[in-house]
Amino acid sequence: MRFDSVALPPEAEALRGQVREFLAAEWPDGYWPNSDFGEGHDPAFSRKLGARGWIGMTWPKEHGGGARTFFERYVVTEELLAAGAPVAAHWIADRQSGPLLLKFGSRAQRRRFLPGIARGECYFSIGMSEPNTGSDLASVRTRAERVDGGWLVNGAKIWTTDAHRNHFIIALVRTGPRSANRHAGLSQLIVDLKAEGVAVRPIRNLAGGEDFNEVAFQDCFVPDANLVGEPGGGWTQVTSELGYERSGPERFLSAFRVFVEFVRAAGPSPDDGAAALIGRLASQLMTLRRMSISVAGMLQQGQSPVVESALVKSLGNDFEKMLPELVRLSPLCRAGREGEPLPFAVERDPMSAWLAPLERCLRQTVLYAPSFTLRGGTREILRGVIARGLGLR
Amino acid sequence: MDRLLKETAERVFADHVTRAAWDDAESGIFPAALWAVVEKTGLHKVGGADSGTGWDDLFGLLTVAGRHAVPLPLAEMLLAGTVVADANAAGFTTIAAGGLAPWPTAARQVLSIEGQVSSEFGCAPASNLAGEPFAWVELLNPRPVAVPRELPTLLAVSRVALMAGALERVLEMCIAHATEREQFGRPIAKFQAVQHGLAVLAGEVAAAGSARDGCVAACGTPRFVDEAAAAKARVGEAAGIGAELAHQVHGAMGFTHEHDLHRFTRRLWAWRDEHGHETVWQTRLGRRVAAGGADRVWDFIVGA
Repeated sequence: MRFDSVALPPEAEALRGQVREFLAAEWPDGYWPNSDFGEGHDPAFSRKLGARGWIGMTWPKEHGGGARTFFERYVVTEELLAAGAPVAAHWIADRQSGPLLLKFGSRAQRRRFLPGIARGECYFSIGMSEPNTGSDLASVRTRAERVDGGWLVNGAKIWTTDAHRNHFIIALVRTGPRSANRHAGLSQLIVDLKAEGVAVRPIRNLAGGEDFNEVAFQDCFVPDANLVGEPGGGWTQVTSELGYERSGPERFLSAFRVFVEFVRAAGPSPDDGAAALIGRLASQLMTLRRMSISVAGMLQQGQSPVVESALVKSLGNDFEKMLPELVRLSPLCRAGREGEPLPFAVERDPMSAWLAPLERCLRQTVLYAPSFTLRGGTREILRGVIARGLGLR
Repeated sequence: MDRLLKETAERVFADHVTRAAWDDAESGIFPAALWAVVEKTGLHKVGGADSGTGWDDLFGLLTVAGRHAVPLPLAEMLLAGTVVADANAAGFTTIAAGGLAPWPTAARQVLSIEGQVSSEFGCAPASNLAGEPFAWVELLNPRPVAVPRELPTLLAVSRVALMAGALERVLEMCIAHATEREQFGRPIAKFQAVQHGLAVLAGEVAAAGSARDGCVAACGTPRFVDEAAAAKARVGEAAGIGAELAHQVHGAMGFTHEHDLHRFTRRLWAWRDEHGHETVWQTRLGRRVAAGGADRVWDFIVGA
């Protein structure tokens, strides 16, 4: 495990100012910034980003991409997240569905899907977890049976973010018999979320949001053309996504707006306690960012840094969770003070307009924080991946 | 860091940092044999003027020294060498910060961070958590010498480099121990609770290495003081978390004087305090962030 020291090249740094100008001009009216990548599903905004060439940046031009480096993509994504822009619509398609199709998809699939993704018009959901399959991904039960011209899918996927407003899901399904090799017999299918036999049921989360869903398949026909890669290649393909999925700035910036608002509340000359907290958070964030950029360098070299990515995500998620917990206890926070009638965690509307900005994003973050160490691989799974990388298992 | 230099340092320290050298140092006896080899190989000149080496080599060498818990005041020697010509010719120069210097009893001269140097000084002995001799020194008949304003920060970064190296070694020791030590009929590395502890340790070690790289890369740039503050704060945290986990994995054996683990963990506990503990540097860094205002927090993080 090695994190080489990597500096962003000038062409990547040059994008920073362009993204900021774009955000100043195109910020959606009344949108409250939120640095959580799952927040803000805004097709109009995604299309504008696509028009600027900031989706599918690393893909070849023939597929609508920008033929740019992972460092350039890194700068664009971190600027969008830090500003709290609404990036949820295209995020998954840009980060992992597109790269997956680029690596394993057929020529026809690349031509059909990638240009639309890069324009910010075509959105994907992840189809991994099932009602009885969470961290143990190899235990998926959704079946696809061979029929004339394609596959008939039966089963269900769950925790499927934005399935109710995205276009496609890439479902990991069982196409072969169960055998001693648990990783054999799995395949990935692109399923049209509006197709017959697909039912999307929203699942309300504890914060009152309806972002994720259960997606049920009943005799849903999927044409042969939608099989990604080889039948039986699903496990290899799905694990290769993880390097992209786990190392990016979205794994440590989810709570960033709380940090910004805390600095605002602390003012230009904070007392020692507030200054130390700001410095502690900054030192953690600066280090995480270096590690994440180092992984971008590995991706740029064509490596598959699965263990390093797990490590960045694990440390990053812990930081995202620690941040609101530390800020909350600062004397600068109103919540919890003696005589304050509303302990913020029981308030029904976490985005209440009457709240001060710090309390407002703190409420939101506290309520969403449990998901940080669950989505994209739980803390326990990540530690297992790291332990394997250390040669312990 | 220069590859040949790194290999030389690894070999010299692997061969000559012995238990006897550690024990001598803790008894106040300067490990002269080790120092002689360092002098002979020229490692004591790294980073100095006309040495053909730079900050990357100097802090790289200290990281290797941390990996081997070298019981010499190498950080002070090397940094003195960047300030005073011939600092380490015919003996070495140590540095006093806040009046306190490591190994003045064995040094030829003492340089103070305030910019005075003298070969005559009075000593009141003390020691750090690793048992390494320190002393409060009073310089007699000092002569002024120009010291860079960043010298205190460079001393803090020397501890960052030492800690990053020691943490690497502690992780290796933990992996070796967990895979060899059997309980309940299997190596303890097979227990999930142990694996998760080591995964956390690996995260801290990797973070320490990255933070170290960040401030070393920033040497000589306007960004140095901020990167150094972030690194001393972050690596100090990693040292505490890492040492704690390492001792938990090693069990009672690691708590003995006989086991080598404490040569590294006691130094980690000393180095995280020396030249400013976490809160000191967090506060300094936090003031810089706050001064820029909330809407420039991100600029600060990325160094824009």
